[in-house]
Amino acid sequence: MNWFTVFPLIMVVTLIIMGLYVVLFKKNLIKIIMGIALMQNGANLFLVSLAYREGYVAPIWTSAPSADMVLPTPHALTLTSIVIGVATTALMLSFVMMIKKHYGTINSDEVRRCRE
Amino acid sequence: MNVDLLTQSPVFVLAIPLLFAFLTPLANKVSKELRNAVFLIGLLLTTLFVSLMAYEVYTMGSWIYVFGAEQPTTGLTTQSFFRITFLADGFSVLAALTIIITALGAGIYSFGHMKESNGLGKFYTLFLLTLAGVNGMVLTSDLFNLFVWFEVTSIASCGLIAYHNDRGESVEAALKYMIISVIAGLLLLFSIGFFYGEYGVLNYFLIRDSMTGSLIDILAIGMVMVILAMKASSVPMHMWAPDAYSEAPEPITPFIAITSLGSLFVLFRLLFFVFRGAVETSAIGSILIILGVLSMFIGVSMALKQSDLKRLIAYLSVSQVGYMMMAVGVGFATLGTGDYGIFGARAMEGGLFHMINDGVYKALLFLSAGGIVYVADTRDLNKLGGLAHHMPYTTFFFIIGGLSIAGIPPLSGFSSKLLIYKSVYLYNPVLAIIALVVSIVTLALIGKIFFNAFLGPDQGVGKKIPRSMILAMSILTIVVVLFSLFPNYVVAEIVVPAIEALGVGA
Amino acid sequence: MNFKMSVVVRTVADIMIIPIIVFGIYLILHGHLTPGGGFQGGAVIASATALLIVAWGTLKDNKDDFSTMESTGLTMFFLLALLGIIMGFSLFYNSLAGTGGIFGGTVSGINPGYINTGGTVPLMNIVVGLEVVAALSLILYMMAKRSDALEVEE
Repeated sequence: MNWFTVFPLIMVVTLIIMGLYVVLFKKNLIKIIMGIALMQNGANLFLVSLAYREGYVAPIWTSAPSADMVLPTPHALTLTSIVIGVATTALMLSFVMMIKKHYGTINSDEVRRCRE
Repeated sequence: MNVDLLTQSPVFVLAIPLLFAFLTPLANKVSKELRNAVFLIGLLLTTLFVSLMAYEVYTMGSWIYVFGAEQPTTGLTTQSFFRITFLADGFSVLAALTIIITALGAGIYSFGHMKESNGLGKFYTLFLLTLAGVNGMVLTSDLFNLFVWFEVTSIASCGLIAYHNDRGESVEAALKYMIISVIAGLLLLFSIGFFYGEYGVLNYFLIRDSMTGSLIDILAIGMVMVILAMKASSVPMHMWAPDAYSEAPEPITPFIAITSLGSLFVLFRLLFFVFRGAVETSAIGSILIILGVLSMFIGVSMALKQSDLKRLIAYLSVSQVGYMMMAVGVGFATLGTGDYGIFGARAMEGGLFHMINDGVYKALLFLSAGGIVYVADTRDLNKLGGLAHHMPYTTFFFIIGGLSIAGIPPLSGFSSKLLIYKSVYLYNPVLAIIALVVSIVTLALIGKIFFNAFLGPDQGVGKKIPRSMILAMSILTIVVVLFSLFPNYVVAEIVVPAIEALGVGA
Repeated sequence: MNFKMSVVVRTVADIMIIPIIVFGIYLILHGHLTPGGGFQGGAVIASATALLIVAWGTLKDNKDDFSTMESTGLTMFFLLALLGIIMGFSLFYNSLAGTGGIFGGTVSGINPGYINTGGTVPLMNIVVGLEVVAALSLILYMMAKRSDALEVEE
């Protein structure tokens, strides 16, 4: 247990808790989506911190072929999840824009036309 | 140039919808007819490759398809450790068959139903993307690949739900579903991170072999179960389902239901195939049973007070999911004990047979309800009436679908429900009684819809049902009737290989 | 309503998109050697679109071009993946690596940054880059247009 492996995990937990707080307690739809984006960043940071090995170099074959490298797989996973995150965020934001057009508000308390 | 289409078939099940999804907008720039033709060819080719895969699995046995390998059937070697792999076995075939039958029905139905809408190029693209996403989810044997297809399915199906974006409700339902899906996807990513951090592998086989059942494993398994049960619209995570089902365009509603079923297939695959060795099977089985009973009971009681046609069927669909979870839960709970041979395996057969049954008759029910909405232009059961005068075919299709969902002999819903009642009764009689009561209430609700919508004085309607909608519903009806006539054959040839593929054959 | 910014901002934006696009193309082409690739490079190029939209308030309507470009990129990506099957291997098999021709060069041992390698990987990066540029530009363009419409309504 050293500082370099623990600190990212603390940041992950902080980001997730902040995101969850925003998603659960804020009424503004844009803020909810910002909370989701925070949680996405937390998840990405978690994956990257899994790959980290102390003293190892970035997994680029061209630059440092002789030294030991950190795990490349989580980096690929993180990139994929970033791409997916961009797509979901864009889609949710465009939904919010349409909701603003139809309802005239983005307060989640007032956007409740679907009945029980 | 030596392409063996049979061994390549699982990847085409995924690749054909994706490729044609990208071709559709290009064809749309040329002409509408070309676009429709491209869409239809894509659907039919996918059907062809699902059949090829089924043929190969049933005659030659299952195989692992390795992406990017020199030969697709080399299996898992040290070189293909991190490669994406697809698993073609009985269970994949069962899932793919369920999906493609529904997709074929919904696709053909949308030609007639969506004729007057604009922006159909994007509609068909999203349709094929959803199909590719669900197929990828059920075929893949790699956790991260599962996450990717999970998100593809979420994004594409949310786009479809919000298709009528001139109505605020559609967008609201889509946003609700999207937020829930994205948070579920994040939890899935976290559990994948847990598995990767612990074992350094992502493939189902390798995780299965190295799983120890530590605390982190249990946490990750719990998260995966919650996510997939939520996507399967199981109570208490069903809030999105009625909104999404009722606000989506009519051809899409059965398709959203099929994404739920796809998640359920993935849940069962993971539980039986990957996690089985590392968990307390009776505990997880009990959780599944409790979720199933809650879904059955709450789903059907919420349906009682609905006056909106599509919402009512959506709640019925929630309650049907409960049957499968309960039956498979009984199977899972009795794994490894002597009871499995006595009734656990029967419960599994009932549960999995009910899944393919449910996919088809629910689609038929949703599509005929869509026909009602198309003709009468309202979803309110109190305003509908006398439609049997105008749509004799749809009335017939609705009766077939409705009686099947209620489990009335001799229709297919009865065969699977009978298997479930018989086996679950031996596990705990209370469960079977609840299942029977839910079935009776379902019948009453189907009767309510039937009397309100089809019988009564002729109120006059403006539109006629297009022929392609009739054709789509007849395809599904034929499948339901076939399942009703030969339940033994279906169980022996399709369901039992699926159970054997999960490694729990009797 | 138009949110056009001052002439200084517009001129600087017009000039700045050139290095942005060049950097994006660099990222795409070196995707198989260094960090980067289709998505990253495409996102960099799409940021040029964002810059233009911010500076000029709007763009002229080239929605159709973008969506054609998007579908073409994706279709070509998939055809490249299918090339593996057509040559008799499995999907995504790198059937062009080491065969000579474009991106077919071989290196023995450590690759010092020789760009003419990688087989289908750089080609896939290029078509993914096309797709990402088009898709992100389309999203930005639609959002800018839609928020314009909202302002007018109020």
